[in-house]
Amino acid sequence: MRIAVLFVIMVWMFTVAGTVRGKEKGKGEGEGKIGQEISLPSEIADWKWDGKEMMYDSKTLFKYIDGAAELYLTYGFQNLTVRRFEKSGRLPIIAELYEMDFSEDAYGVFSFEHQDEDVGIGQGSEFGGGLLRFWKGKYFASVYAEGEGAEVESGILEIGRAVANSVPATGPAPKLVGLIPGKNLGLVDKSVRYLKSHVLLNQRFFIAHQNILNLTRKTEAVLAQYIREKQKVQLLLIRYPDLKEAGDAYRSFMKVYLPEAGGKDRLTTEDRKWTVARQRNEFVVIVFGAPTEADAEVLLKAIEEKLRVGR
Amino acid sequence: MEEKIITRRDFLRVTAGAAVTAALGTGIPAGIRAEPTAKVVLIRNAEVLGRQGKVQGEILQSMVDEAVKNLLGTKEPMEAWKRLFKSSDVVGIKSNEWNTLPTPKELEAAIKRHLLMAGVAEKNISIDDRGVLNNPVFLNATALVNVRPLRTHHWSGVGTCLKNYIQFVPDPWAYHDEGCSPLGKIWTYPIVKGKTRLNVLSALTPQFYGRGAHFFDKRYVWPFKGLIVGTDPVAVDAIGAHLLQTKRIGFFGEDRALDVPPIHIMTADKKYHLGVSDLSRIQLIKLGWMEEVLI
Repeated sequence: MRIAVLFVIMVWMFTVAGTVRGKEKGKGEGEGKIGQEISLPSEIADWKWDGKEMMYDSKTLFKYIDGAAELYLTYGFQNLTVRRFEKSGRLPIIAELYEMDFSEDAYGVFSFEHQDEDVGIGQGSEFGGGLLRFWKGKYFASVYAEGEGAEVESGILEIGRAVANSVPATGPAPKLVGLIPGKNLGLVDKSVRYLKSHVLLNQRFFIAHQNILNLTRKTEAVLAQYIREKQKVQLLLIRYPDLKEAGDAYRSFMKVYLPEAGGKDRLTTEDRKWTVARQRNEFVVIVFGAPTEADAEVLLKAIEEKLRVGR
Repeated sequence: MEEKIITRRDFLRVTAGAAVTAALGTGIPAGIRAEPTAKVVLIRNAEVLGRQGKVQGEILQSMVDEAVKNLLGTKEPMEAWKRLFKSSDVVGIKSNEWNTLPTPKELEAAIKRHLLMAGVAEKNISIDDRGVLNNPVFLNATALVNVRPLRTHHWSGVGTCLKNYIQFVPDPWAYHDEGCSPLGKIWTYPIVKGKTRLNVLSALTPQFYGRGAHFFDKRYVWPFKGLIVGTDPVAVDAIGAHLLQTKRIGFFGEDRALDVPPIHIMTADKKYHLGVSDLSRIQLIKLGWMEEVLI
């Protein structure tokens, strides 16, 4: 069972104690309408909503997620709605719907943890270990159960589909993601992460304990893994608000990470692999761990070509 | 003087054989000073989990007995407990109530029972997790027992004994940066400083891999049926992290990266001087069931 169990217990505790920080609504209060546009399902395949709805904002999210709220807050979190679905003789299923600032943010939350197979729900989904995650429009959702088994997994997927259907509009994925090379150059499935902070970047690929690339909420970054000559290579593409900020970040990176490069854009590091960094207008592109210079160049040139075409 | 910025290349240097102490700026090369060592007990019992994973309390109690006895090098378990705790002590048992993988109640009970047998008054013993800052026993504690399950963790890489004290601060989220590197600082605060007499990692069903905020995944839990016990929290954590890493390598065929590397363990050693993180300086005593012991 997953962290949801704790959350459910917390919900119960809060309900009983009357000290809830998030807002709880019953069926009679708005009939489960979230905001102006979302109407979550009440019953799906014999799984019935228990009638209580927990809502959290950026100030109360910590109370629900207990130590993991930063991920959502980094991606422009607006609010969270949680529903619990029950079925006779079964442990409940929990559905969480996170509203983010933009669809790119919802994509970002999804991409950050993406590892399992797509099940065709929303605009991108995965299901594994009893956890369904997907994004659609500016919403990210996760659905999971306290119990397990085929019936429960089927229930999770059915509830997930219903939640996805309740989100009326789709939204674009980040344009930046479309600029990285594809499988023809060795892109690894499910390795693309859309990132909005250096803390999250470090969680996926540690570069430096300080923010030497000057990532902020105004920058956006894509990290992806490639296989070149049977070796793992990381590609990092960052877009800054303007040319100056990109230049400052590039110089900061070179000074701290590749101080021996001597004015060049590349160096073999301690693992005897190549790190190559380049600034192109408001973009900075870095390849880490390329087995040869040529492998790094192939990836860099593919991005540069897309940047040229896009202008 | 500019602060040294730790980069990926520092870790690559360590892998290549250079001293990590240089990267962290501790300044004293190995070999010049006498390095401290630590002792950790790993005890396992194939029968400690019954049908459907139910913890067998009596067996667990005997595992705790053996572990503490061997850790302190006494002939009898109670002799060891009496060395660790005085009858006048006020003892907080810092547990972990994360419902998905909590500290087993049977383990909490076994520790409490031993404290009572050592002469500590029942009114001076409390078991708590999230309420420690409002718990009179913890606020007045003269001694602490740190007991929690071994698992991976979204923000700290691994959830082990060092991480378990995050409830002793009112702002836990302020300790999440850089793989929870500041966790060691909590151990320097008066509410806990110098009070921890025993650290117990429950490795009955550890979780060896996870990712993201929803960091429990039953695919990555296995019945190891062990306890890792020591007086040095850093050493206990280092052994725990090593066990999880070894399991990941066996399971995935590679050391699949965690959300963050558990660098807070090394930081607790090198920066906060809370114990020993270097596996080569930890004496690991292995007891009991040795099938697939991994480390």
